[in-house]
Amino acid sequence: MAAASLMAVMILSRRRGVKTGDTVDTREWDVTETNQRRLEIDAISKRYGETVAVDELSFDVLAGELFGFVGRNGAGKTTTMRIVLGVVAADRGEVRWDGRPLDFKTRRRIGYMPEERGLYPKMRVAEQLRYLGELHVMTRQAAAAAALNWLERFDLAERRNAELQSLSLGNQQRIQLAAALVFSPEVLVLDEPFAGLDPVAVDVLTDVLRERARAGVAVIFSSHELELVERICDRVGIIDHGRLVAIGSVDDLRRGGPERLWVDAPAAGEDWLRNVPGATIVQEQGSRRLVELAPDGNDQDVLQAALRTGPVREFQSAEQSLVDIFRDVAGGARP
Amino acid sequence: MSSPLPDDHASTWPRNIYLVARREMLIRLRSRVFIATTVVMVVLVAGSVLVASYLQEGTPSQPAAVNVGFSGGSQALEPSFKSVAAALGETVNVTSLPDAATGKSQVEAGSLDMAVSGSATAPTAVVSNSLPGMVEIALDAAAEDARMAAFGLTPEAITSITAGVPFEPVQPTGSASPLNEGAFVGLAVGLILFTALGSAGSQVAQGVVEEKATRIMEILLATVRPSELLAGKVLGIGLVALLQLAMEAAAALLTNAFAHVVSIPALGIVEVGLYFSWFVLGFLLYAAAHATVAALVSRPEQVAGATAPVTIVLLGSFVCSLNLFLRIPTSPLTTVLSIVPPLAPTLMPMGIAEGIAEPWQVGVAMGLTIATIAGEFWLAGRIYANSAIHTGARMGFSDALTGRQSD
Repeated sequence: MAAASLMAVMILSRRRGVKTGDTVDTREWDVTETNQRRLEIDAISKRYGETVAVDELSFDVLAGELFGFVGRNGAGKTTTMRIVLGVVAADRGEVRWDGRPLDFKTRRRIGYMPEERGLYPKMRVAEQLRYLGELHVMTRQAAAAAALNWLERFDLAERRNAELQSLSLGNQQRIQLAAALVFSPEVLVLDEPFAGLDPVAVDVLTDVLRERARAGVAVIFSSHELELVERICDRVGIIDHGRLVAIGSVDDLRRGGPERLWVDAPAAGEDWLRNVPGATIVQEQGSRRLVELAPDGNDQDVLQAALRTGPVREFQSAEQSLVDIFRDVAGGARP
Repeated sequence: MSSPLPDDHASTWPRNIYLVARREMLIRLRSRVFIATTVVMVVLVAGSVLVASYLQEGTPSQPAAVNVGFSGGSQALEPSFKSVAAALGETVNVTSLPDAATGKSQVEAGSLDMAVSGSATAPTAVVSNSLPGMVEIALDAAAEDARMAAFGLTPEAITSITAGVPFEPVQPTGSASPLNEGAFVGLAVGLILFTALGSAGSQVAQGVVEEKATRIMEILLATVRPSELLAGKVLGIGLVALLQLAMEAAAALLTNAFAHVVSIPALGIVEVGLYFSWFVLGFLLYAAAHATVAALVSRPEQVAGATAPVTIVLLGSFVCSLNLFLRIPTSPLTTVLSIVPPLAPTLMPMGIAEGIAEPWQVGVAMGLTIATIAGEFWLAGRIYANSAIHTGARMGFSDALTGRQSD
């Protein structure tokens, strides 16, 4: 994907010592020459009194892309999504879809699942979905058919005439997702869509999101389930204190981080790495040590040092998980 | 999968209002509360009319006929007595008796109220305790006529002598004239408006807060303008309230048609249209006000406190209208206030019914009320949108209006 090449810029930036909290100008990496439609979040800012919720935030989500939006609580994810949907007005900046600023008309093409779930508790499930479809300018018949389709997809067709409040919380969550999907939106903005779902529902939703992305929908969702985000997203954006601190595919983000090595040298003492420049032990698991290399570090020097202590049972590159990357760029705490 | 309609807002706002109103109606018409209250109200209304009818039969509006018997020479008084009694509003059954003793025994037995005997110029009467005073006056008058005839006066002379003084009633300037039948219709419009808003206004407010409390408005605001949402809500709830009122009115009218409890004033199509228009305008004016204040709060338990000022204004307007209309109906103050929106929906129908309101005043009042309603929807929509993600304590009016948030 084009964004992959852009990540190099970010990786270089980080190598040069860009700190958490610094503004990362994603436009620098953007391949705007392509004709692909995109949701452009362009330098948006939002303050609540003295609190800065979003600060000059910029990134794109391409049509056909699954974009994971992660950050700690209060990092600015929900505010960003609300700005995209027009629920909250940005103090500065602009959001565009397909090159045009989002307006009331364009926002009707966006499926939205807010952080705070909300549907009519006393309204029948199928009627509720049909109503939302009609509000998104579908005909009554098309909306009814789409509602039934999504209820079947989420295995809730039998409950179509039940009041929403009579469903379990998990099933209400599925209806909430169906509400965002029922009118076949061009963009999906989902705030914590996996929260509260059982593993089967997680799989169904994962399939649905992948399918929608394959159909050309730009999908952005926030989640604290980093393993899930790592598994299904094409790209990930990490936000901290209202600023984007990392963006790219998980592989790109891994490449952007410091190189790490697992070394198992049982005979090695505490100071076996003392004379190897740019190498630091960051974690120990019995005789296994996770060694992080600075930009001037050399893995062969580490290997030589390990061999000098005796037998070496393991020497391999350690792949960073998204959790590691997140800790690295967003201050250490899990989101 | 979808078959989108033309995505043009200019053509979709009426559809949005319709969709929102339809949802509100469906939900309410289907609710057990609506069905139960409607059935109970219809039964109560019909029952009340029937009870009133029963009570009327028990206490007749027309006093019972007075049975009077004449014997001997007094029988000559019968025609004159009947005529005077009728003029005094008494219904009398006159019978001839063979003698005074029979008459007395019948009065004692209760079959006669009065037994008259003796001559026409000097009659005597035996009466029951319950004899109406007017019957005695009628007998006195008949005897006086007989005495005057005995003195040789012609019937014309007697009529001339006994003719009453004509009294011409004149209305003092500035005081209210007695209410005519139509004026009660004007009062009824205000009363029905007040009654309808008692429940519907609160339903509008609850509906607005429900969308905020359940957070669905975050989804709705992405596709429906707040003013459309509120207009649809007020319209839907209003139509349901109107339907409920119509069913209650139909129950009352149908029952009355059988029971004949009250006579319904005959109204022309134009009058009915005007009263109905004012009911609708008044409903929209106050329902939109309920929506506006409800948009400031975020929890159902805060609704009553938020809507209290609107209820007070409505009640104050109704009481004020009633007093102005009854005390100084033609004063400039009443004329001006009947044009101003808070009072127009209650005061103007009274003015129309009484024939005081000029057509231009009705037109200006309607225009101002419609403009105020539009302004309310705009204001409520703005507050609704600005307070969309606000939770917790009631939001300040100026913050809600400007969109400032402090969290």
